[in-house]
Amino acid sequence: MSALLAKRLGAIVMISIALAGVLFYLQKISPLDPVHARLGGQASASAVAAERHRLGLDRPEFTQFVDYVRGAVHGDLGDSYRTRRPVSTDLRAYLPATAELALSGLLIAMVLGVLLAFATTLRWKASSVLRPVLLLGASTPTFLLGIAGILLFYSKLHWLPATGRSSLADVPGGPTGLITVDALLHGRFDVFWDAVQHLIMPATAIALGPAVAIARVLRSSLVSDQRSDYARTARAKGLSEPAILIKHVLRNCVGAALSMTGLQVGLMFAGVLVIEQVFSWPGIGQYVAQSIPVADFPAISGVTLLLGVGYVVINTVVDLLQAVADPRIKV
Amino acid sequence: MAIAEPVARRALRTTSRRKTRNLERKASVAAASLFGVVTLAALLAPVLSPDNPLMPAGAPLLGPGKGGFLLGSDSIGRDVLSRVLYGMRTSWFAALGVIALGLLIGGVIGLVAGATGGWVDNVLMRITDAFLALPAPVLAIAVVAALGPSLLHTLVAVSIVWWPFYARIVRGEIRNLAARPHVEAAKLAGAGRLRIAVRHLLPGAVPAALVTASLDIGNLVLTLAGLSFLGLGQSAPAAELGADTARNLSFLLQDWWVPVMPGIGVLVLAFIGNIAGDGVRNLIEPD
Repeated sequence: MSALLAKRLGAIVMISIALAGVLFYLQKISPLDPVHARLGGQASASAVAAERHRLGLDRPEFTQFVDYVRGAVHGDLGDSYRTRRPVSTDLRAYLPATAELALSGLLIAMVLGVLLAFATTLRWKASSVLRPVLLLGASTPTFLLGIAGILLFYSKLHWLPATGRSSLADVPGGPTGLITVDALLHGRFDVFWDAVQHLIMPATAIALGPAVAIARVLRSSLVSDQRSDYARTARAKGLSEPAILIKHVLRNCVGAALSMTGLQVGLMFAGVLVIEQVFSWPGIGQYVAQSIPVADFPAISGVTLLLGVGYVVINTVVDLLQAVADPRIKV
Repeated sequence: MAIAEPVARRALRTTSRRKTRNLERKASVAAASLFGVVTLAALLAPVLSPDNPLMPAGAPLLGPGKGGFLLGSDSIGRDVLSRVLYGMRTSWFAALGVIALGLLIGGVIGLVAGATGGWVDNVLMRITDAFLALPAPVLAIAVVAALGPSLLHTLVAVSIVWWPFYARIVRGEIRNLAARPHVEAAKLAGAGRLRIAVRHLLPGAVPAALVTASLDIGNLVLTLAGLSFLGLGQSAPAAELGADTARNLSFLLQDWWVPVMPGIGVLVLAFIGNIAGDGVRNLIEPD
């Protein structure tokens, strides 16, 4: 297990360095010159040379790359052209909102995925209409889900709020930055409930696509394991079909569904960036959307590095969990 | 009688099974041919559109069905239907373009890795794995941001992150084929490496690559729409589905059709893509 752990940690480091290399190279081929982006087009030649020296751009490219990686490891992702602040400072401000949304989405995707898989495997009533509904759900763009939700649940029914993370003024600032968690830590159930209401629509919108993917994988392994010998034994001793699924089959099928969940996190990141626009969610998606029109490359490469490394780490954790849950798997 | 009855029943069962299989096959052909229908419709978008998508054609913000606008008009009086049709045309050809580029890059890398083996295979597959280990849409955003927003750059960016799937699939097929007797025979007959790769290995990998590609179109339409929504596509007046929704979000509560219709355009394209992809899979790999 420790050899496995070391191997996977090594892979994380290698892939992160490769990603940093790609981002560094992109910065190099970008037609946008970082010095001009900082000083403007009319800067004098001597000012440009001085700034170039200050940024270390007059040094060999390999040295620059090593400096870039060293900086990134210490949390220095350069300065944003737009906000003029360090990208890491900006990200720290936006990250909690995005993390709360993404984690809620992941939770909904897993619960919904398991429910859908069970419904179609056990042929619950109305599960025959589920297949086309799932196909339709998998074909719907995240932003359409979001705006359809706003039209129905906000504009028509007045059930849910449509913008932001909270409508209360006195949200307790907490240790985690996740409003739901902080509210519970402070014992403020009104704040918690308000934050949950704000989360429901955007989190469900990003969760539907991944939920369908998880359900598909889980369903196909559930169906094939239902025909296995151990399931037949359980049936022979008189267990009901749901009991067989939950107590015996599910445990053996969780692996494939878990790794699908890990892969879907990448898709969910993209969904988060989009859905934050729809719901005016003050997270990394807003930061990216404001950075794109002004070609703020340090900001965007910082976000890419953060999300990329996060994705690799999440998938490694998923693989390790699988190995822990199922000793037959050697990652 | 006691013996004849089960036989007759079995015969009945096989004919009915054959009938349903025929029916399934026909349904798959119909589904797969949707690819052609959509491509044709995309080519004919200028003929199908009632108005110029870039020019005002009437009063602004008319609801669907009013003023001769089937899907309504937008904030400066342009026909939403025409804009959606042109947007679907762009999305469809963009998705096909990325698939073609992805198949080309992934196919070549998969073929070289699978046919050569050894350290070349190792190096190429490690690179492929590194790409597969990263979230593709997020990486695409960085590539477009570096190159500058435009549709062409978006297509290049998405192709750069999209090929690894195809490289894996083609390489896997090629490795399987390389162990087959017909490749041994070609080797004994003195065929060169290139000839074996192109004539004896590549054709065998085509079905799997085609199935993957056709199942992928729906995903690609959705991914491209998401990037367009974030502003990584054509600039302002051009009709693009994701961007048209994003730019008109402020009209959502009063004039819902302006942002919603382009989104439905994406849904229709992705849905057709998914159905057609399933059809192609059922035809090439019937289980």
